[in-house]
Amino acid sequence: MLDRTLQPELKEIDKIDFVTLRHFDVTANAKLYFMKDVSDETSRLDLYFTAGTTIANPVVSSLVNGLLLSGTSTKSSIQINEQIDTLGGFYESSVSHENAVVSIYALRENLLSILRIVADAIANVAFLDSEVKELISDRKQRFLVNMEKVNFLAQRQFQERIFANSSYGNLVQIADFDVVSSQELREFYNENYLNGLEKVVVVGNLQQDHIDEIIDIVGAWAKPQKTIFPGQFSNIKGASHLVKEGALQTAIRVGRILFNKTHPDYCDFTVLNTILGDYFGSRLMSNIREDKGYTYGIGTLLGELHETGYFVIATEVGKDVKDATLIEIQMEISRLQTELVGTEELLLVKNYMIGQLLKSADGPYALTDLFLGVETFGLNLDFYNKSIDAINNITPERIQELAIKYLKWEEMTVVSAG
Amino acid sequence: MIHFDRFKLDNGLTVLFHKDVTTPMAVVNVLYDVGARDEAEEKTGFAHLFEHLMFGGSSNIPDFDSPLQMAGGESNAFTSNDITNYYDVLPANNLETALWLESDRMLSLSFTPKSLDVQRNVVIEEFKQRYLNQPYGDVWLKLRPLAYKVHPYKWATIGKDINHIEEAQMTDVKTFFKKYYNPSNAILCIAGNFELESVKILVEKYFADIPSGIKPARLLEAEPKQNEFRTQTIERNVPANAFYYAFKMPERRSEGYYMADLLSDILGRDKSSRLYISLKKEQQLCSEINAYITGSHDEGLLMVSGKLNPDVNFDDLDKAFWKVIENLKATSILDSELERIKNKIRTSREFENQGILNRAMNLCHFELLGDANGINEEHKIYEAINPNHIQEIAIQILQATNCSLLKVKAS
Repeated sequence: MLDRTLQPELKEIDKIDFVTLRHFDVTANAKLYFMKDVSDETSRLDLYFTAGTTIANPVVSSLVNGLLLSGTSTKSSIQINEQIDTLGGFYESSVSHENAVVSIYALRENLLSILRIVADAIANVAFLDSEVKELISDRKQRFLVNMEKVNFLAQRQFQERIFANSSYGNLVQIADFDVVSSQELREFYNENYLNGLEKVVVVGNLQQDHIDEIIDIVGAWAKPQKTIFPGQFSNIKGASHLVKEGALQTAIRVGRILFNKTHPDYCDFTVLNTILGDYFGSRLMSNIREDKGYTYGIGTLLGELHETGYFVIATEVGKDVKDATLIEIQMEISRLQTELVGTEELLLVKNYMIGQLLKSADGPYALTDLFLGVETFGLNLDFYNKSIDAINNITPERIQELAIKYLKWEEMTVVSAG
Repeated sequence: MIHFDRFKLDNGLTVLFHKDVTTPMAVVNVLYDVGARDEAEEKTGFAHLFEHLMFGGSSNIPDFDSPLQMAGGESNAFTSNDITNYYDVLPANNLETALWLESDRMLSLSFTPKSLDVQRNVVIEEFKQRYLNQPYGDVWLKLRPLAYKVHPYKWATIGKDINHIEEAQMTDVKTFFKKYYNPSNAILCIAGNFELESVKILVEKYFADIPSGIKPARLLEAEPKQNEFRTQTIERNVPANAFYYAFKMPERRSEGYYMADLLSDILGRDKSSRLYISLKKEQQLCSEINAYITGSHDEGLLMVSGKLNPDVNFDDLDKAFWKVIENLKATSILDSELERIKNKIRTSREFENQGILNRAMNLCHFELLGDANGINEEHKIYEAINPNHIQEIAIQILQATNCSLLKVKAS
């Protein structure tokens, strides 16, 4: 008779295979990374440009990114999109603090043809008045919609205060949309797209001559020098609240400037981060969602930038329990600083983290993203083996030490909107 | 081609096995044939609230998530108007833990009052976060009762009203479990690098002794044919006017479903679609416009929604909208336009079938629709559709008397 109260015996994960991507020099300052080992017909191509939000007015970088397929002197945006769609391709573009990424998803037989269409469009953007005007109007409207969301409001306030006195803390304001000049857009485009390619990533079962051809097509855009990123940041400590009339929930962010993967405490800190708020059974979820029912979700995140990183706790809670939630967050942090994590909980978190690492190394697309996650910081895949060692060897004392060192409440930026 | 094996236990549980030798992970997916459409009108939101309670401990295991995390895995679930689907993803060598967990909660829940109290609050916060505290968040709460007068699609999965969640009682929970959560009402899929024989042994071990139960009959009142244009305007504190055209479309198991799906793509899937080009690019009437289908099992909706540009009124948009529609009904589309849509579908399908989680979920879903092999057959139905079909389905469903229009007016 089966004893249903007993969990089946657990097996350990013997090993995780991390796979390095092949790399090619587009130029001395721009590399192409290639993951060939794809067993199906899918393919993806990413172009990384220096065109992030922190090197100009964020409105300018975001508009230029949105205008890349807006038409050339010989082709309208409609024609460009029709050509891509005819080949069954998907085009995506996005902007973050430190770069902009253009991605194509397609069946591998069509990838090169689609790239030629996209590359021609990007190389010859005409910045037609009608297209610029239309995009500005759309983005203004989207911005106003976002400003109705407490989550967005809290995130803005957090960004401003955690990256105080740096261009990383620059926020888009509605008035910015009305003063953008065509000249500014063109200059940014010239500098950061036509001369701003920093990385190419190709995933798909393609032949070497395809790779050569990709380099031929986009090579002229390679950036002329290495990018220097700012490194010194300090967050404004203490609490601030933004009132949003009529809101039913309050969005909360608690965080601080911390570090990225290059820091010696990073791997150990990820264990502390997981225990506190980075999985369903975390301390914050168990207390604030599963015990008190204050929220649909609460979580923590380690955000990474080229020269630094940040830690943040994020949630949306009922408006009458904002203060109660902050007290519980503070209590959970303090508990990690004053009490050792129990053996059972620590074992669970270790197993969970290794299991998740196995999952994040499953398949060519996941492996590519893992690789890019270290390549950005000049590290190699050995980082993940070190990470496994760190997870396996960490002690409750070490976790407590990190909580005391890095999670001091008085060093946190605390913002809320609602 | 996605391979699978199928077997049935004596208690009625349908089991699918999908072998994938390339992955170190395993997926256990359990689909229960129950959704918001099975709720009573005075107790809506229940299927979804119940999904939350399924994580609150079962008869022999006090907590669902911890043992799974201890095994390196994680889990989640979703509820729609049609189904409730649970999935566990974990390292393949710990497959047995997921089967142990899923079988125990199929056997019985622990029904603790604390779990019900807390999850009621969590769901209320979810209600606020997703539907009430977002600009345009309550649109579906208004649109459903406009489009459906009889069929239970007239309420959203989250529920009609927050009160229904607040008033949920333990007796309701127990009755719901007994009726819908039994082997004959479930489909289990296991995916990963395993052998069929060992999967069979494990499934027998954990699921065979669960009492069968009776597959509940679904006797839903059919929605009467719509014979009138319906419209409603709500005023909200939002920055832009928004429009939602909802056309009734054929049910999931019919060929018309696939035709309507392609029709929605032609209208507004991509930046080369008809409404996007005409209403946005050429006439500058709206800032965004999209067409899509709800994918419902029973008679569903083909939707066209978007936001107006400042200084454009609803009437101008409406005239231009119907002009595009009438044109599509009057003239057959070109082969090349249809081919473009099919090419996009081919690419999407190839990407969609990549992860084993997607494959396991889709196999269960197709099995519920009649045959898991539908996952391999569906593309043939799309391929066989020609321009005449598109014109016919457009004439059939894109009628004012088959349309409900919700307008959100910025106050």
